[in-house]
Amino acid sequence: MNTSKAAAEFGVAGRLLRSALSLLLVVAAGGFAAAALVRYSPGFDVDENSWNAKISPSTLAAMHANRERQNSLPRFYAHYLMAALHGDLGQSDSLRVPVTELLRDRAPVSARLVASGTAGGLAFGAALAWLAVWPRRAAARWFASGTSGFLLAIPPAVLGLAFFFSAAPLSFAVALALTPRVFGTLRALFDELYGSAALLAARARGVGPFTLGTRYVLGAAAPQLIALIGVAFVMAFGSIIPIEALCDVPGVGQLAWKAALARDLPLLSGLALIVTFMAAFVQSMGDLLTGEGW
Amino acid sequence: MPRKLAAAILILVIAGAVLAPWIAPFAYARQFRDSPDAGPGGRFIMGTDDVGRDRFSRLLYATRVSLLLAPAAALVSVVLALAISIPGGGGFAPIRRPINGFTTICLSLPWLFLFIILRAELPLNTAPLTSALLTFGLMGVAGFAWPARVFTASVREIRESGWVLQGRAAGMRGWRIAAVHGWPHLRAIAAAQFRVLVPVYILSEASLGLLGLGVSDPLPSWGNLLQELQHPDRVRANPWVLAPLGLLIAVTICLESLQGLPAGRRRE
Repeated sequence: MNTSKAAAEFGVAGRLLRSALSLLLVVAAGGFAAAALVRYSPGFDVDENSWNAKISPSTLAAMHANRERQNSLPRFYAHYLMAALHGDLGQSDSLRVPVTELLRDRAPVSARLVASGTAGGLAFGAALAWLAVWPRRAAARWFASGTSGFLLAIPPAVLGLAFFFSAAPLSFAVALALTPRVFGTLRALFDELYGSAALLAARARGVGPFTLGTRYVLGAAAPQLIALIGVAFVMAFGSIIPIEALCDVPGVGQLAWKAALARDLPLLSGLALIVTFMAAFVQSMGDLLTGEGW
Repeated sequence: MPRKLAAAILILVIAGAVLAPWIAPFAYARQFRDSPDAGPGGRFIMGTDDVGRDRFSRLLYATRVSLLLAPAAALVSVVLALAISIPGGGGFAPIRRPINGFTTICLSLPWLFLFIILRAELPLNTAPLTSALLTFGLMGVAGFAWPARVFTASVREIRESGWVLQGRAAGMRGWRIAAVHGWPHLRAIAAAQFRVLVPVYILSEASLGLLGLGVSDPLPSWGNLLQELQHPDRVRANPWVLAPLGLLIAVTICLESLQGLPAGRRRE
């Protein structure tokens, strides 16, 4: 008894440690990629003194060599990461505003869109998956698969534009973009559960639909559902980029798009670091709760 | 949709794309400055855009670009994924773990965001054809993670399978086991992954084109033709600007149907 309890505690501690380590590793790798993007961006090591005719070529060469030494990638990365840890992600080239300030202003808008879109996508996807599996009717199955296939064939940006021009909430566009992705996973899960011995026995005992749904479906599928919620959040973030960009929503997605068009690499790098952290955090949480990992 | 009908529609669309230089009445970049925004009529089947280019010709060429380059990008992804998955699915943990960790990071990042970053690294003044090759090439490189995850699991499964064990016990060499037992199994999975990726890349190019980060003008693609959807007054006046969207939906659904499973399920 004591041995199994100790093993379980070690298992939880081990999983926590592994998740924390993988999160650190991912953020370090993301930070390195971000720093490399900024360091090797066009014009990074251009100095205004290069055009000063009063400075001799040998002095210019010495200044250039000094800059190269100071801005070597490992040194630059160390500075970048230390500054990022203190909340300083640099300054946007195109907007001339600190990246952290831009993120602070825009993150709540995107967070609302992602949260409501994810909730809607999960609800629509679950409803379609239920329709495809539970009624056991060909028409319902084809309707669900057809709707999912149709939604899958429309780019999220087009969905966003359709909702924008009809003055409907954009979170519905995010939800519909997410629906087919959620539908696929949930349908497979429901299919598996429908044929499970526990559910068959419960149905044979005459257990009501509410108890069946909560205890035998939600209860049994909880780990997969938790993992799916994490993945859905990341997918929703991918969907809001074109929606925010084209529908003039002042969120992080629009910021990423503007940064890409303006080749604003400090801003893109800061965004990359934050998004990598968020994605890795969500992934780690999912892994921790489901007991999976690398 | 029955698979035969899907295949027939797809063949028709591909034939139109391949035969574009012979079917299209005009070159895709030719401007008729005396007839901007012309409606459909005798001279221009689907009318002209705001700079007087024939919409029908541009649609045919756009179909050609999107339908021919998406499979090429899918091939790049599959080849890259195969190259990574062999050490990734191997038994040597110091190599396996970093590879799988990297794949997981790439998988967990929003794909479009990753691509936007990569695309932003490239110069704006690229030639249209180069921009098309870069767009699809980058898609192929950035999209390696999903098939790599599938292949890695398959390699691991093959490595631990009974027939490989039996082959080893019978004294077969590693390369022979890979050729006789590994590759036939992986080849089928690679073909399936390739078919899954083609519609994904067609749709991704459409999203990027809408954002102005895909194939650059005047070379048409479904993505940059869809940019007209940003002007509702133009869509209302010329509903046929929705034709690329209709084609995109039809082709994607046909490609999905040809996979043999309903769209959502196959993603498993």
